[in-house]
Amino acid sequence: MVQLTVNGQTVEVESGSTILDAVRKAGFNVPTLCYHPKLVSYGSCRLCLVEVEGARTLQPSCVVPANNGMVVHTDTAKTKSARKFILSMIFSERNHFCMYCQDTDGDCDLQQAAYDEGMTHWPITPAYKPFMVDASHPDFVLDNNRCILCRRCVRACSELVGNATLGFEERGSSSILIADNNVPLGESTCISCGNCVQFCPTGAFIDRRSAYQGRETDLTHVNSICMDCSLGCERVVKTRDNRLVRIDGNLDAGFNESLLCYDGRYKPMAEDRKRVLAPQIRRNGQLESVSWDEALNAISAQFKAHASSEISAHISPRQPIEALSAFHQFFADEFKSSQVTLLGHDQTAAASVRLAAELGAFESDISAMKDCDAAIILGTDMVKDHQVAGFFIKRQAMHDLKMFIANSTHTHVGDWSSDKLEYVGTDYASVVDLLRAYANGDSAGVDASLKSLGLKSDRAEQVLGELKACQKPVFVVGKEFAKVENLSAYRNLVLLAREIGAKVVALKGKGNNFAGAILGYELDAQPKSTPVFYLALGDGHACDHTKDALAGSEFKIVQSSYESDFTEMADVVLPCTIWNEQAGHYLSSEGKLGLNQQAIHAAETQRSVLDVLKVLANKSGLNLSDSWRAALEEKVGTIVLS
Amino acid sequence: MTKPKVASDWLAGCAGCHMSFLDMDERIIELTKLVDLRATPITDLKEPDEEGVDVGILEGGISNTYNEEVAIRMRERCKILVALGDCAVFGGVPAMRNFPGAEAALQRAYIETESTDETGMIPNDPELAASVHVRPVSDIVKVDIFLPGCAPSADAIFYVLSELAQGRMPTVDGEYNNWH
Repeated sequence: MVQLTVNGQTVEVESGSTILDAVRKAGFNVPTLCYHPKLVSYGSCRLCLVEVEGARTLQPSCVVPANNGMVVHTDTAKTKSARKFILSMIFSERNHFCMYCQDTDGDCDLQQAAYDEGMTHWPITPAYKPFMVDASHPDFVLDNNRCILCRRCVRACSELVGNATLGFEERGSSSILIADNNVPLGESTCISCGNCVQFCPTGAFIDRRSAYQGRETDLTHVNSICMDCSLGCERVVKTRDNRLVRIDGNLDAGFNESLLCYDGRYKPMAEDRKRVLAPQIRRNGQLESVSWDEALNAISAQFKAHASSEISAHISPRQPIEALSAFHQFFADEFKSSQVTLLGHDQTAAASVRLAAELGAFESDISAMKDCDAAIILGTDMVKDHQVAGFFIKRQAMHDLKMFIANSTHTHVGDWSSDKLEYVGTDYASVVDLLRAYANGDSAGVDASLKSLGLKSDRAEQVLGELKACQKPVFVVGKEFAKVENLSAYRNLVLLAREIGAKVVALKGKGNNFAGAILGYELDAQPKSTPVFYLALGDGHACDHTKDALAGSEFKIVQSSYESDFTEMADVVLPCTIWNEQAGHYLSSEGKLGLNQQAIHAAETQRSVLDVLKVLANKSGLNLSDSWRAALEEKVGTIVLS
Repeated sequence: MTKPKVASDWLAGCAGCHMSFLDMDERIIELTKLVDLRATPITDLKEPDEEGVDVGILEGGISNTYNEEVAIRMRERCKILVALGDCAVFGGVPAMRNFPGAEAALQRAYIETESTDETGMIPNDPELAASVHVRPVSDIVKVDIFLPGCAPSADAIFYVLSELAQGRMPTVDGEYNNWH
């Protein structure tokens, strides 16, 4: 610990802390612009200057370490005048006119800093030098005229996302923010995660959809989680007048460190499918709008008219656990339907459930990837799926990370790694054999496996030769590898992980895939055509195989938020709420329960899957239990190590 | 006690700050009990008294040689000069033309707009004031009080004028300091 004095007050902080940490711990504040709690301090804006007794000049508190016996003053004539001068210089450099900026009144750190210093005007007239505006990206605009060169976006892009698209060209006041080697953002290596937009303290990044839609204080903030993949990233859904305005990462909660990917931040904003507005029944070949009563009576009549073996039911993993639990009780437990599946055909969760039943809990949490020194990634492309977990790997790869990637297609997740071995194919049994041979020091086994995989031995030796010596190896498994049919290779991998002290992280498909596997859904079966086919699509998508199965069925019930090929061929269409119009729980890949809160009120004609199931159960004289939590949590404890 | 004299004028602005001044509604009656409102662009008397006023108010930035004259005249004739609104304080919306330059802005406005035919021309009457680089009032003359805002609220304007009327120098801070 280090003890120092801030404004006459003694404060103790961990050694290695900065003066800024000490100032804030002592209950004082100094304004900052380039500093961000999630980023490595950079000390470029100089706004956080403080007076340290005995120091020749003012010190940037965000980068100077706190030392024993330091005497710090934050609000002296000298610091105040320095702050005002720094702000005057920043305002004079580019176009910082607030009245035509979209980022204003409490949303802009620069404006707030000026208010805090009591500035009513700019002492230095601006230079009026125009800078490049890049409007080539579909989700946001980069306006260099609003940039204060703090590089928070650049650091977020590299340090946190591991993408390193953003950088600077030129020097000093001519510096401009560019993508790659100065190509338009829309044509660059940008992955559209939008974290730069969220980290920008001024209006240099303009979010196309929320610009001029209101200040932060005008928006309703709903803390929620993402259900696109199964990572369960914490996010804040921002609405105004019952309209979705923006989605941001949650700075204060979650393993995801406020990061979101395109799917979590922009995909829901870019949704442009047409909503289903009213219940419909097919009459004389045409879909006609009817009342809910008529539609539900028609479905009930079909359920009564058919034997349970003639009914199959299929639900999207985007539905909350409450709906999945009720759906399974209704169709599997009570109706004994011939097939009750979870859409998506991702068996990772099912494989986990089966393997854990045999071997005991073996999975680790996602954060294990954040500080690993070796990453063995089997059967998943972390640039396309579970992207935020991919960020953790990509940014580790910029430093010192041994990587072995096995996937049926090439993936870019290891692009930064200089210690990388990649196998493109699906012979996962040989991949696991190779790892085993390296761990055992079995050179004949290594040679045999390398030969059957077609890999070069020198590169393999470089990456895997010292696998056993790695301190924090992580095995990441995904849908191509973690299949029920691959269970024996998976078992061997888990046993190897235990032997060498590696952590296993299983990335489990979309939304509530994990909860679905625990609730007993069939995850390894494709839907088959049946006389009655109930498809609870919600706001999700389904594959062509499901479409064929639906087409081949006689009576087709489609519960969907959006019009699609599925609703077009249905006999009954039920209009469904979407993710932000319903509340419910989701079980993440690492077994954490998250609550998606309702942020928007749906139209009266749109009902959730759960609400409809309750009515149908009532019509069939069934009672659906809503006590899923205890059993689910107990089961998770047998799969994921606590 | 004689009431302090107040005069105002507008330069390169939109008149919005003066509208915001009127937006103080019935308080304007209260204000006229405290101050002697002299020349303003929205009353009959257009030029500040030659013998001088106590408070001069300028809305708008300096965008041409005429604005310069008006600003200098107001400064000469008033004891305390208030820069009212973002254009007077910072240059504001008219200052956007500084980025492309006045010539390019006039070219776009009078020749290149979608609704202009081939007869479009930049006005060149010798009586027209010449365009200059748009600046805040404080670049031309000394300003005593900066009241930013687009427009400053009626409350902020009332606060500043009532403080001045009562012989105090107002501090523009908190909710009154709003750059929008």
